[in-house]
Amino acid sequence: MTMKRGWIAAAVAVAGLSGIGTSAFAESETLKTVQERGTLLCSGHNGSYFGFVEVNDKNEWKGLDIDLCRALTVAILGDPDKNQIVPLSWAQRFPALQSGDVDVVIKATGWTMGRDTELGLQFSIPYFFGGAQLMVRKELGITTASELVGGTVCVAAGTTIERIVADHLKAENVEHTMVSFEKTAEVIGAYKAGRCDAYAAWGPSIAVLLANQFEDADAHVILGDKLSAEPIAAAMRQGDEDWVDIVNWMLAALIKAEELGVTSSNVDEMVANPPNPTVARLLGVDAGMGERLGLRDTWAREMIAEMGNFAEIYDRNLGEGSPYKLARGLNNLWSNGGVLYTPILD
Amino acid sequence: MSAAPPAIGAFERLQRRAFRTPLDGLVTLVFVAFLAWLAWQAVDWGVLRAVWRAEDAALCREAAAGACWSIIDARHRLILFGLYPFDEHWRSTSAAVAIIATVVLSCIPWFWTARRLVSLWIAGFATYYLLMDGSLLGMAQVTTDKWGGLSLVLFLFSSVVLIGMPTGLGLALMRRSRLPMVRLVASLLIDFIRSLPLLTTLFTAAVVVPILLPDWLQGDKIWRIIIAFSLFFACYQAEVFRGGFQAIPSGQFEAGMALGLGKWQSLSLIILPQVFRHALPATINMVVVTFKETAVVIIIGLFDLLASAQAAFGTGDWVAYYMETYVFVALIYWAFITSLGRYGEFVKDRMKQDEH
Repeated sequence: MTMKRGWIAAAVAVAGLSGIGTSAFAESETLKTVQERGTLLCSGHNGSYFGFVEVNDKNEWKGLDIDLCRALTVAILGDPDKNQIVPLSWAQRFPALQSGDVDVVIKATGWTMGRDTELGLQFSIPYFFGGAQLMVRKELGITTASELVGGTVCVAAGTTIERIVADHLKAENVEHTMVSFEKTAEVIGAYKAGRCDAYAAWGPSIAVLLANQFEDADAHVILGDKLSAEPIAAAMRQGDEDWVDIVNWMLAALIKAEELGVTSSNVDEMVANPPNPTVARLLGVDAGMGERLGLRDTWAREMIAEMGNFAEIYDRNLGEGSPYKLARGLNNLWSNGGVLYTPILD
Repeated sequence: MSAAPPAIGAFERLQRRAFRTPLDGLVTLVFVAFLAWLAWQAVDWGVLRAVWRAEDAALCREAAAGACWSIIDARHRLILFGLYPFDEHWRSTSAAVAIIATVVLSCIPWFWTARRLVSLWIAGFATYYLLMDGSLLGMAQVTTDKWGGLSLVLFLFSSVVLIGMPTGLGLALMRRSRLPMVRLVASLLIDFIRSLPLLTTLFTAAVVVPILLPDWLQGDKIWRIIIAFSLFFACYQAEVFRGGFQAIPSGQFEAGMALGLGKWQSLSLIILPQVFRHALPATINMVVVTFKETAVVIIIGLFDLLASAQAAFGTGDWVAYYMETYVFVALIYWAFITSLGRYGEFVKDRMKQDEH
C-alpha cells in the first residue's frame, strides 16, 4: 500500500517536474469494491434520528444523511437506489466501518480528534454545524446561560452535551444542578413537568421538539448561546484518500450547485447553455469533473438532477419542506451568513 | 376433622377478608379507591379521550385529547415489519404466521415424538425463510438486513430456543460425562459464556467476528447473532437441565442397568422424561426471558420490534406520541409472554396427570 502510494507520489512529482501531461488518476480501493459490488453500503440507524435518518410510512429510509448517501450513490453508480442502508446503532457505526459492513458513515457524526486519530478514521468536509443549546421558559426572563444561577438543567445522560453544558456553566461560574435521564423523551417529560429550569440538547433537536412537542411553544425560548459548534461530517476508513476525495467532492458539488444556482429543475437548461465555465465544468459539459476522481464526467449533473442541490436536500429534510422548519442559520452558504463553503473547482 | 366448616356466603367472606377491623376496612377502601382512580385514568386517557384514526392526527394536539392512537393507525406497518419492503408485507405476515403455527402445533401432545417435532420445525423454518427471502420462490429477494419488526423477533426467538435447547441438553450431558476432558470442556464453556453479558456476546458476534474471520466464513450478521444467542441460551439451559439431573436418585440408573437397558436407552426412557419434568418451570422461565431479551439486538442494529417502534415515533410528525407506541408494543409482548406462561401451566398439569 505504502509502496504503491510512494510510486504514485513519485509519478506525480516526475510529471510535475518534467511537464509531462500525465496525471495520477484516482485509484480508490473502496470505489473499486463499490463498483464491483454494484451497491454502496451506507449507515442507517436502529430507529430514527430526527431529520437525518428516519423511516417513512412506506418502510423506506429518508432524511438528510440518507439523501447524501443517495447522492453519493448516483455519483458512483448512476442510480440513487443502488445502495443498501445498514441499520447501525451509534456505538456500532465505527466498528462496522472498520470491518467493511459499510463503505461510509454519514450519520450525524461529529468530527472529533479522538475519532480522527485513535479510531483510525478520516472525515470529509463538514456539511452541517450544530451545537449544544439551552431552552428555558420565557417567564424566567433569562436571555443568556450565565443568568441561570441556581437553576436545574435537564440533559440526556452520557452525551457530549452533558459535558459541554457542565464545562460552559462552570467556566461562567454559574452554580447549577444537572439532572440526567437515559432517554430524550424522559428529559423532555421532566422539563415539561417543571422539574428543571432549562433543557439542554443539540440545537437542531431542540428546535424540532419545540415545533412539534410543545402545545405552548410560545412560552419557551432557545437561548442564543451556542455552547459548542460541532462540525458534522462523513467518516471513512483511514488509508483510502482517494475515497475521501470522492465523498468531499460529492458534498462540494452539492454546495457549489447551490452557490451557482443550479437546481434539479434547471440543470438541463444549464447543461444546454452553461452560463459560465465553472457551471460547465461542474455539470460535465467541459471534461475534467469525472476523470480525476475515477467517475463519469457527468456524475454531478446526474446527482443534481436526481437529488437536487444542497439547499433542496436541506429544505426537504430539515427546512421548510419538513415538519421541523429549521432555519439554515450557520448551515447556510458563506455568502448568506452561514459557514458552508466549497474548495475551488478548477 | 369430622364436620366440614359451615359454608359462608360471598358477602361474609368479603367481610372477613377485607373488613375484619375498622383499620382493615379503611386500608381496603383507600386501596380500592386508588385502584379505581388508576383504572379511570387509564380508561379516560386510553379510550374516552383518545384519538383513533390517522386522518384525525390534528386532533391529538388539542389540550383535551388523550391517547393518540393515530400513530398506531399510521405507522403500525413500520412497527410490525421494520424495514421490510412495503409491497411485500404479506410475505412477512405469512412468515410470522408460519412461525406462530409451528410453535402452537409443537405444543400439541400429538406432535411430541422426535420425528414429528423435527419435521414440523424444519417445515416451519423453511416456510419462514422461503417467504422472507423470496429468491428461491421466484419472488423479489429481500435480504436479511431488511427483516424486522415482529416477524424478526419471532424468528430470532424460535431459532434461539430451537438451537439452544438441544445444545443445552448436550452440554448438560457432557458435564455429567465420565471422561474428564469432555467434562472439563463443557464446564469451561458454560462458565465462560455465563460470565459474559449477553450484550457483549452479541456485540462480539456482530461486530468483532467479521474483523477476525475471512469473508467466506463470516456468513450473514443475523446467523452469527442467532448462533451466539443460542450458545448463550444453551449454557444457561444446560445448568437448568443439570438441576433436573441432580434431582434424580442414582439408583434409577442402576435400576435401568439391572433391567438390561443400555446407557442411552435408560437415559432416554427413564432419566430424560423426569429431567424435563423437573426442569420445566425453570425452562419456561428461560424461554420467557429469552423472548424479551431479543430486544437487545437493537444495539447491534437489527430492526426488531422495539427498534421499529422507536423509528415509528422518531419523526417530526409523531415524536410526541412515544407513550402510545410503547403501550402498543408492550401489549404485543404481553400477549406472547402470557401465552407462553399459560402453555407452561398446561404442560405442567399434563405431566402431573401422567404421574398418576
